[in-house]
Amino acid sequence: MAAPLFSGYQQARGAATARNKQAVERKKRDKAARSLAKGKKGPREFKQKSLKDMEQFALCDAMRYLRAFEVGREPAVAKYEVHIRLKTRRDGPVIRNMIRFPHSVQTESRICVICPPGSRHAKEALAAGAVLVGEDEVFEAVKNGRIEFDRCLAHPDSMAALTKAGLGRILGPRGLMPSAKMGTVVEDVAARVGMLRGGTVYRERDAVVRLPIGQLGFSPEQLRDNLRVTIDQVKKDANNLQDRITKEIYEVVLSSTHGPGFSLNGEFKSEDTVDPALLTGA
Amino acid sequence: MPNLMKRLRKLKTVLNVRVGTGAAIFPSAATATPEYPAVTRLHLTYARKIYGGHQGARHFWRNCLTRLKYHNPGVPMTVKQTENQEGPASLTVYFAEKLSKAASLNTADKDEHAPAPSATEKTATVDVRNLNYTDIWMKVKNMTGAQEVAATEKEQEELQKIEQEAQKSVKDRARIAAMRQAKLDHERMLAAAKGEAAKLSQG
Repeated sequence: MAAPLFSGYQQARGAATARNKQAVERKKRDKAARSLAKGKKGPREFKQKSLKDMEQFALCDAMRYLRAFEVGREPAVAKYEVHIRLKTRRDGPVIRNMIRFPHSVQTESRICVICPPGSRHAKEALAAGAVLVGEDEVFEAVKNGRIEFDRCLAHPDSMAALTKAGLGRILGPRGLMPSAKMGTVVEDVAARVGMLRGGTVYRERDAVVRLPIGQLGFSPEQLRDNLRVTIDQVKKDANNLQDRITKEIYEVVLSSTHGPGFSLNGEFKSEDTVDPALLTGA
Repeated sequence: MPNLMKRLRKLKTVLNVRVGTGAAIFPSAATATPEYPAVTRLHLTYARKIYGGHQGARHFWRNCLTRLKYHNPGVPMTVKQTENQEGPASLTVYFAEKLSKAASLNTADKDEHAPAPSATEKTATVDVRNLNYTDIWMKVKNMTGAQEVAATEKEQEELQKIEQEAQKSVKDRARIAAMRQAKLDHERMLAAAKGEAAKLSQG
């Protein structure tokens, strides 16, 4: 009598363990699912809303509206901006680069180049449009508080002299101290001067590349040229990323310093566009 | 990028540039009559703050000048904001070759901030201090003979829709505020009750 009871007990225990095993497994699965849900930070890709309801504009029409919104502003100060929305994953590499426009957006930035005076680099830098070139004279001017430039580059040959002059305390807080990390200590000074004069730095943030592409006084043709160059370069940047990463342009939005954003349809003008020649200047 | 619904809503404000006070077309070189010569430029000067009668001028810039610019994209319009609160608030209208009859009646002083007229331009300066923007617009309209652009039926409909939405948002805002307040009150009541219970159990 004891044996069956015992065995029955055993069986019961065995059954219990079997059931337990199942329960444990189920629990494990649940936990795995939960941790997966917890570990996953939402969808892999940025959500792309359908642009079905979005009214899209030809470039000239968008410009006409933006110029109305910017009325009375200084035409060299107010800028057209472009926002390029990309179709991309949330993680992975981002696009970041520098661009040179056919029509310069920034009002002239003055560049100082620190390199041995009289050297080949000095001559080239001057030719490329630097306003201040030299070593001791630059140091002297800076020490006297005359900082008449808004970008500063240095040639590696001058680095020793630069550190000895101890300008870090003056130039550092202004963000003008050349350093290799910032890419402001370069061999080919002249090329970099050229880049800085007409160049704009851009990068992708949350799947959007934003950058100013023109002054308000630009004609539609000028803006079209700049826009075309920008889009081509962003496409090229996207192709130059690693093989497995694909980025595509999803939407291009034209906006301005004080205006709303107009989604562009890729056309230059539509049927009811005014004469593009009128969309220039103040 | 802001979400799509927000952007769509924002783009509806574009309608405000097409229609409203000041949505009008100035006579151009092609449409000029002997009575109303073509308008070539506009310039507005006013002070930074609103006291001293500078409010209307600023509102004119914000409301009418954008609409005028939209409908007359080729007419340059400049605005100068001064620091001189006692100074003039004036609008300078530049006509091609001669002034309109109504414009020649204006005898306000020349605006020193206005760009100099070219050889073929004649200017009329209007003193706009202590005027509201609709009055300024009526003056400009009478002076220049601008043809107002009426809203089309479709635009009217859209305007009505926006107006309805605005009214609905007022109601919704009140409703949501009441709901939030009720929730807060409930929480506060619960917290107070809990506090009382704790006090009782301690005592």
